[in-house]
This record gives sequence, C-alpha cells and structure tokens, in this order.
Amino acid sequence: MRTSAKNNHSLLINLKQAQALTVINFKSFPQRFTVSLVSMLSIGCVAAVMLSVLAMSEGMMKTLQRTGLDNTVLVMRAGATSELQSVMFPVEVNILANNSNVIKNKQGEAIVSAEMFVNAEMKYTNDVGDIEIPELSISLALRGISKSTQQFRPNFNLVSGKMFVTGVRQLIIGQAIARRMPELTVGKTITLGGAQWQISGIFSDGNSVFESELWADIGMVQSDYRRGNTIQSIRLALKDINNLPALAKEWQDDPRLNIRVITEKQFFADQASNLTRLIRWIGFPIAIVMALGAMVAALNTMYAAIASRSKEIATHKAIGFSPFAIATSILCEALLIAFVGGLFGILPLYLVFDGWTAATQNASNLSQMMFNFDISLLLAIKAMSLALFIGLIGGLLPALKAMRLPVTEALRD
Amino acid sequence: MKNNNDIILKDINKSYQKGDNTVVVLDHFNLTINSGEFVALMGPSGLGKSTLLHLMGGLDQPTSGEMVIGAQRIDNLKEAQFTKWRAENIGFVFQSHHLLPVLSAQGNVELPLALTPLNKKQRQEHASYALELVGMSDRSKHYPKELSGGQEQRVAIARAIVSDPNILLCDEPTGNLDRKTANEILAILAQLNRDFGKTIVMVTHDNKAAEYATRVINLESYMLEQNKCTVGEN
Repeated sequence: MRTSAKNNHSLLINLKQAQALTVINFKSFPQRFTVSLVSMLSIGCVAAVMLSVLAMSEGMMKTLQRTGLDNTVLVMRAGATSELQSVMFPVEVNILANNSNVIKNKQGEAIVSAEMFVNAEMKYTNDVGDIEIPELSISLALRGISKSTQQFRPNFNLVSGKMFVTGVRQLIIGQAIARRMPELTVGKTITLGGAQWQISGIFSDGNSVFESELWADIGMVQSDYRRGNTIQSIRLALKDINNLPALAKEWQDDPRLNIRVITEKQFFADQASNLTRLIRWIGFPIAIVMALGAMVAALNTMYAAIASRSKEIATHKAIGFSPFAIATSILCEALLIAFVGGLFGILPLYLVFDGWTAATQNASNLSQMMFNFDISLLLAIKAMSLALFIGLIGGLLPALKAMRLPVTEALRD
Repeated sequence: MKNNNDIILKDINKSYQKGDNTVVVLDHFNLTINSGEFVALMGPSGLGKSTLLHLMGGLDQPTSGEMVIGAQRIDNLKEAQFTKWRAENIGFVFQSHHLLPVLSAQGNVELPLALTPLNKKQRQEHASYALELVGMSDRSKHYPKELSGGQEQRVAIARAIVSDPNILLCDEPTGNLDRKTANEILAILAQLNRDFGKTIVMVTHDNKAAEYATRVINLESYMLEQNKCTVGEN
C-alpha cells in the first residue's frame, strides 16, 4: 500500500516536471516550426489520404445503406449478382404476384414493381452561349419503371419539373446526377442509345443510390433497347417478411421459376460491402506506406530537434529534471507536430470536400454511382488518431535518445 | 545534512574507453572538501578538473571508488536517485550560461523550482529573491538575448542557488567574461560562500579568479603530491 502511494507520488512529480518542460518546448516550438514543416506536411498527407478513403467508403456505404427497404423482396434470375445480369419473363411476374404472401391493394392487385435496368451511354452537350463544346459522354444507370414502382420508394420526391409521360421519350434524373452535372436541367435533351430523350424532372430519394439513376417509362426502355417484354427485376411487398425463407424455398422448388430472392436492403448492403472493401484494399495500403514515410520524417525532425537542443536537454538533466520528464516532453512535441500535421490534412479536406458529390464506377452494374463525401467528426477523429500515432512512434526513439543523453558529453560539445 | 556538506572522494578511479584504448583520467584519487569551503580547482587542460566536477555533481560516475557528499554515499546511487539528489543538493554554473531563450530571467530562475512542491506564488517569490541576491531584480522580465554576458551569468547563478542547494559547482564561470564583469560574478560567488555558507567548487584557469577562493588546489601538483596520479584526458 505504501509502495503504491510512493509510486503514485513519484509519477505525479515526474508528470509535473514533464508539464514544465513541455510548456517550454511548446514556447520554443515556433523557432522549429519551419524545420518541422516537412514532418507536418507528410503527416498531413497521410491524414488526408486516410480521411479520403474513410469518407469515400463511408459516403458510399451510407448511400447504399439508405437504399432498399427491409420488407421489400427483390427477385432476379438465379445466379444474377446484379439487376444488369438478370432477365425475367412476364409469366414469372404473374406466378410471383399471385402468391398469397404478397400484399394486394384495394382493387385486389398485387403490389409488384417490374423494372428494367440498362447501363446506358448518355451523351449531352454543355451549352455555354455560342461556344461550341464537344459532346460529353457518361455511362449511367437507366431504370425503366412502372406505375407501381413509386410504392416501393417511400422517399421519392420530385424536386423540380414533372413526372415523365408514359409512351414518350421523357425521363426524370436523380438529384445526385443533377448535382454532379448541373448542366442537366429540366427541359434539356440528352442522347441515350442513339435516341433523344427529354429531361422532364429531377427527383430525390433520401440520398439513396437511386439518385444516381435515370428513370423512364419501362415500355419505352424495353422498346428502345430491344428487350421485347422481358424485364430484369421484380420488387414485391410481403405481408410478413419473416415468411421469406419459406417462400424462397417454395419458389425454388417450383419448376416454372428459376429465380434468386433477396431482401432489397440486403442486396444493397452486399453491394456496399463489396465496393467499400475494394476502396479499402486500395486506399489503406497506400495510407500505410505513406504513414511509414511520415514516421521517418517525424523521426528525422525529432532527432534534429534533439541534436540542436542537446545542451538545453543536458542542462535540464543537470538541474535535476528526470529522464522520464525529458522523454515525455519530447514525445509531447512530436505529438504537437503530428496534431498540427493532422489539422493540415483534415481541415482543407473538410472545408473543400465535405458534402461534395463524387462519382465512381459501380462494378456490379457498370454505371456511375454518385455519393457524398461525408466527413463526420468520427472520421476526422480517426484520421487525427492516425496522425497522432505516427507522431508517437516517430517521437519514441528520439525521446529515448534524449532520455539517455550523456550530460557531460552534451555540455562539453 | 545542512550542517555537513563535506565532499569526500576516496580512492576514485575514472577511465574512458576510446576505441581499443583505455584512457585513465583519475587514478586512485583522494580529495576532501570541507563544508563552507570555496575551492578553486586549477591546472592544465586535460587533467580531469571538469571530470572531477561532474563526478561531484553526480553527472558522471566513477569507474571505482567511494564518493561521500554531505554524509551520503553517492557513487552507488541509481540514475533516478541521482537526479533527485542533484536537484536537492547541487547547483551548477557553467561557462556558457545555458539559459533558455524562450524564458525571461524570472522564468529561467523559476525552472528548478518546478522540481519542488512550491506553488506558483512561492516559486515567484523565491526566484525574485535569488535575482535580488545577484543584483538582477530590475532585469527579471528581460529575455536572455536582451542581457549582456555578465547579466546572463548572474541569472545562471540565481538559477543555481534558487532551490537553496548546499553545494555550488562552477565550471569556469568567468571564462567568457571580461575582467570587470568576471570580478562582479566572482564577488557574488564569494558572497554566497561567506554569507550563506555555500560550499563552492570552481574550476578555473584564471589566477585572479582563484584569489576569491578560500583554498586553491592545483590539480597537477596535488596529484604529484599524492604520488598516485596518472595524467590522462579530460
């Protein structure tokens, strides 16, 4: 008990000494600011890369997680991992719609949405006065929807313009596309698969992945893309989603059907995990390699700081400051460098890119998917933690060196 | 302990390894400095004067031998114990003052008090008193770059005495100063010895400086007298 109290007292004294030296180090830090700048910038780059990776995967994850409903069942051809790979026939839609587990409306019709999904090459011009601008091209997801589709999109809202007219080459575009390509306004004409389509409206859908899509009348899409009367996916509303495993088994055993059944929520969650895994596999190794470089830079800076202050450190030792206090003050300085470096990386990214709409190729449907760069406080803390970790490791060896600095030699040099 | 600040070095050996060679600095060296003495250590360079000072101050340890300071044996202390002992018993004054440029004279003098349980107000009072003793009260808010060499050394002395150590170890404290300023510094040291009973050991090459001491030891002849000396490198 007494030993423990003595240890605590000794620790307190050491911490008090460390605090005094840290205050002095911080006061003289502006003199070493330029020398420390390389370390700060290296650490800042690492923090920025890490934050970008995290913000991208977080943004994508959120976009995909916001998509899909728990009680909606998505049906595709067996073996299809995306709607693009799937093909289904009207007869299959009828079999599924007639199942007693599917919710019916007041008229006794099953609530079912048959949808087409096409990876469309969109061409458009960016009109700026009389200046002739070459035609731009981008690959986007074109979804052919039916009347009942909106029942499966509770967050759907037309933010400008109006709904497309059935049987006409009109479409509505998601607001993520409109944000990314502001030149796509209501009334503008674009080219899809060689045909001219008019933008009749812009819709929102709770920041879901659907906002990266173009929606048009399913009949027009089938006709323009020569798909006959086939569709690609069906969405069903079940009376009780808990019946899904049994229902899936029933449909699997039905010789007339060859389908894959999954909840819409799960479908997009799987896509999210595939996409973010890819980003992390590429992003994290880059961040790790950069972090190693930044650690070396921090190490160099701190070694240089100690070399230039060896007499000062020796004087502290001669006065009676403990080696622990001296090492702690060096570590605190390394952490200060890392903190400032972390701010260098995080703040510009936050100020410029937070909420920015980025686009990436969604490998599962080969179309562009828009998502928001989402720099939350938690992500900033994670990036800053990495910066501080680099500072800690970079400061550790120099701190130990300062701790063991031979006073007599340092004072004599 | 306050009454007994005797410094007793018994059969001290100190050698360094330099490549494959062993350089012997002190060979079976004996010395006693009594409480309240002001000793000037003189002699040619490389004889081991600074090494002796560092050993007495616990900045270095002998290869073998016994060191007793203030009735406490210190040659077998561990580093942490040495640090604490040094903070409580020893004040250093170096040839270069080694003041911290980012702290004012007052801040520099207060620094060693961070090792004591004194509160901020008490630390300020102690530092002000130490600065007053060395005649630097009116410069307490000045930073080292705003002070002359002599003034910096005065502040360094104030820093050395602020925690009231029994022993002051001075390594050529006037080496960088002109005669007039050196005399002022030496007068302060003599006053500290005379009026406050500080035991002072001062390494110097300056005969004039040595005149302020109560005892002068010429290390070369002292070692010869002991007939046990080996001249080595400092």
